[in-house]
Amino acid sequence: MVGLLALFVYPFLVSLYWSFCEYDLINPPRVVGLANYQQLASEFASGTGIAKALWNTGYYALISVPLSIVLGVSLASLLSCDIRGQSIFRTLFYLPSVIPVVAASILWMWLLNPTDGLVNSILGSLGLWKPQWFASPNELVSANAFASSAWANNATPIGSKDALILMSLWGMGNFMVIYLAAIGDIPKSLYEAARIDGAGPLRRFWNVTLPLLTPVIFFNLVMGLIQSVQAFTQIYIVSEGRGAPADSTLMLSLQLFLSAFQHLDMGYASAVAWLLFAILGVSTWLLFRTSRRWVYEGVR
Amino acid sequence: MNWLQKSTVYALLLFLATIYSLPLLVMLSGSLKSPAEIQASPNQLIPDGWHWENYAEAITAMPFWRYLSNTLVLCVGSVLGTVISCSMAAYAFARLKWWGRDWLFAVLIGTMLLPWHVTMIPRFLLLREVGLYNTLGALILPTFLGDAFSIFLLRQFFRTIPEEVSEAARIDGLSEWGIYWRIIMPMSVPALITVGLFQFVAAWNDFSGPLLFLSNQDKFPLAYGLEQFVSSYSDQTHLLLAAATLFTLPIVLLFFFAQKTFLKGIATTGLKD
Repeated sequence: MVGLLALFVYPFLVSLYWSFCEYDLINPPRVVGLANYQQLASEFASGTGIAKALWNTGYYALISVPLSIVLGVSLASLLSCDIRGQSIFRTLFYLPSVIPVVAASILWMWLLNPTDGLVNSILGSLGLWKPQWFASPNELVSANAFASSAWANNATPIGSKDALILMSLWGMGNFMVIYLAAIGDIPKSLYEAARIDGAGPLRRFWNVTLPLLTPVIFFNLVMGLIQSVQAFTQIYIVSEGRGAPADSTLMLSLQLFLSAFQHLDMGYASAVAWLLFAILGVSTWLLFRTSRRWVYEGVR
Repeated sequence: MNWLQKSTVYALLLFLATIYSLPLLVMLSGSLKSPAEIQASPNQLIPDGWHWENYAEAITAMPFWRYLSNTLVLCVGSVLGTVISCSMAAYAFARLKWWGRDWLFAVLIGTMLLPWHVTMIPRFLLLREVGLYNTLGALILPTFLGDAFSIFLLRQFFRTIPEEVSEAARIDGLSEWGIYWRIIMPMSVPALITVGLFQFVAAWNDFSGPLLFLSNQDKFPLAYGLEQFVSSYSDQTHLLLAAATLFTLPIVLLFFFAQKTFLKGIATTGLKD
């Protein structure tokens, strides 16, 4: 319990205090009021620093989490079809998620190397585009991607964050395992009843599996959001620890780390931490609020 | 399902499984290729010659054994810390009645949602204050203070042990401490293994902890040492892949030996409470 106090409650309160201070680790903290938050606001208004970090974090989280849910649920329901070798397939899909992030990052930086990486050699031999992946600040999900010029002359709008999203999808096996266990818990009688009513496999998925999975999907949505907003290691490694290229992988977690331990600006870093906390808090709360509309809670 | 639907499912699964396993296969094959072959296009999966010397070279190119022993110290220390502290806390939450217990448990679960960034800076300064900066202790000591996830998992398990067991022990004159140590702990070995296993993997993989707390190379664990290795050998892909494979292999082996424990632990975190 002392541990709980020492490692959570005390830091929690003291970082709130420091976010109102100027503190460089050498001189004692000096209260500066709202200055750190004003700096955040002005960066936000001018589209630099924190504005970029917010955009990058949002882009990464809001694309990778829904995609990993769709992919995870689809894989889990394919696996729970009456097939042979289920456990082999499960292992193959799950294995990438136990690969240490440091090793996975090294591996993917090589696979996605723009000139001689495996992914681009395969794409090239199929006569497709060769994206620049980690070497480009582009974003696939952007208005620019609809312009034909974005795809002309072997250029693509695919960049570093899209590569990170791809990496996160490769490692979504632990979520898939949760879906698989949840599908296993659905009573067989429900499928029997649906079959007697003449429902085909897709219909059974849509009207039986999916609604009964919503509590687990909701759980994974919240956890996935928290995890992806906090993602740090892979971002640090692929961006050489500075958000390269062109700040396209400068996310909140990295911004916080850099301002605290490179610029020694603990006050500003604490303000960033609190901003991050507030964003996660509000979005978790919103998710819980809307969950009543779509999460199946069982027959009462 | 009819045969058409069935073969569609198989085809899809095979296709996706190939995509998912290909990166690991090429990591393995790349780690055995010569530098010239790794650049070659088109890539082939089976190397022409098996260059096992890549591994020897990767091990000598960095202080591998130093890194490995640091990692093992971290793993063993933090597994001990987690198992001891979390089992005690979980025992208090599951089997003892005291004022404010449920309230405090709610706070504990709340800390799981707290991003580590919020507590990162104060935690760093706190541990630096007690003189643990640039020691492995900075990464081990916090595990002796418990973590919410492991306490939660163990508490759930302890609650399934019938209260009659404790009562019988109490009548036989065993102290509360004795009940914890001689009755509950031996009965909870599967749950303790799960918690220990997760902590072992977490300690093995941890990157941001060493990044924050360690500054001398002879203190680095593998995860962080590997990243340093990447920055200085970025053009020697064959060595990088050999080093990454060496780092990954123990975790993959651990997973295969303890597959059931892993999958059960993951499934229970999300589902049953």
